[in-house]
Amino acid sequence: MTNTLFPLILGSGILVATASGLVGSFLLLRKMTLLSDALSHIALPGIALGVLFHFEPLLGGVLFLFIGVFFIWAIEHKTKLAVETITGVLFVTALAAGSFLIPEENLLETFFGSVTRITVPELILQGVVALLIIAVIIRFLKPLVLSSIAPDLARAERLPASFLEFLLLTLIAFTIAIGISFVGILLMSALVIIPAASARNIARNFRQFIGWSVVFSVASLTIGLYADAIWHFGPGTATVFTGAFFFILTLFGKRDY
Amino acid sequence: MEPTTILSVYNLSVTLGHKRIIHDVSFSVQPQEVVAIIGPNGAGKSILVKTLIGLTEATSGKIEWQPGTKVGYLPQRFHVDHYLPMTIKEFLDLKPKRAFSIHEVLELTKLDTSWLKRPLAHLSSGQLQHVLLAWAILDKPQLLIFDEPTENVDVVGQESIYTLLHNLQDTLGIAMMIVSHDLHVVYRYANTVICLNGKMVCYGAPETALTTDKLSELYGNHAFFHHHHYKNEE
Repeated sequence: MTNTLFPLILGSGILVATASGLVGSFLLLRKMTLLSDALSHIALPGIALGVLFHFEPLLGGVLFLFIGVFFIWAIEHKTKLAVETITGVLFVTALAAGSFLIPEENLLETFFGSVTRITVPELILQGVVALLIIAVIIRFLKPLVLSSIAPDLARAERLPASFLEFLLLTLIAFTIAIGISFVGILLMSALVIIPAASARNIARNFRQFIGWSVVFSVASLTIGLYADAIWHFGPGTATVFTGAFFFILTLFGKRDY
Repeated sequence: MEPTTILSVYNLSVTLGHKRIIHDVSFSVQPQEVVAIIGPNGAGKSILVKTLIGLTEATSGKIEWQPGTKVGYLPQRFHVDHYLPMTIKEFLDLKPKRAFSIHEVLELTKLDTSWLKRPLAHLSSGQLQHVLLAWAILDKPQLLIFDEPTENVDVVGQESIYTLLHNLQDTLGIAMMIVSHDLHVVYRYANTVICLNGKMVCYGAPETALTTDKLSELYGNHAFFHHHHYKNEE
């Protein structure tokens, strides 16, 4: 079954990886890389509920991520708690609740990713959501970049700071949700962070930074999916190894900044 | 309010948390006027300008802008991540609204076009300030607010930025609000001075407003005149 679906898996994967590469660049700019790592765990209870009650786990994941993101955003704006504090509390609670709820047979694939049981509607849904993420980022590229690198200047230009922040958090949530079935909850941040970190090593300007981030992300997931199809050791693991390999390579081509 | 007045501020007060930062400040800015805001450390100078442009909320009072007024703002601190992969051109391209082309702005701010390819992260703080000035005038503002940095900018750099501001005022007719800790700047460039120490201690032309009494009231003692230049302001 995996073989007949492989072209569709690859197509959907490339779109998801493109979205991850773009979102990852912003996380790196905002120094929010660990936030995305923690955030991915918040999807677990949602996925567990989907598995238990036989609805699409992806939707459960998106729902929980979205609620999580909204809480983080709202609490940050209403209280003076640091984002890391809120995320820290939320993510361990979600992880505990999720591991308690999810059937043991689904635990490993949710953690490390698996495409053996993925369905055609899921793949299409992931691809469509990825396209939407890419479109929104392109539409709001400049305001998102400005508010990420110079929040004060962005506010002086009357850019809607909290809207942009919420938009970015939402984009992160959706990106994580659609990437989980490929690389799993524990490894998802690898698809988001490693490509952007590698890109920054060699980029001389912003265009190159975003471009390389997408290239590394797509290349990592593509190689990861092929490796999994041939040797069956999990697309998540193979993707992370590939990404880490690229990162090491870029260290040798590192610019002086 | 005269029809041409760019900005009118009435009885402005700002309280942050439980701390009263600014109390009952009123003034106005006319086209092409250069207004200097001076005062000791923690007098609320930066907070005042941030309140004017909406970065900080006013507790009471009224701020009236002439409709359609564009404001350029150079913050006191602008931190660029050392690893940010972005050229000066890419940075200037991020400006949402532009009235000048990037090349016109480079010419106005006396920057060479070779700067466009330089990475933002590699600039000294004086050079960064120069680029921020280009950023601030890209949409041809009627008022430029310059919150003078108090750290890490060399004296020569400051001298050239003031020459540049002065030129811009001549060529573009921009009004300016300058937050400064240097009385020299006030006497040399400003038409009007606001002495701020939580409340407004003096307001008017520097020659008449800056009396010895007012300055003593503002800074507490005369030691300021001789040493303030060399101190860092928090």
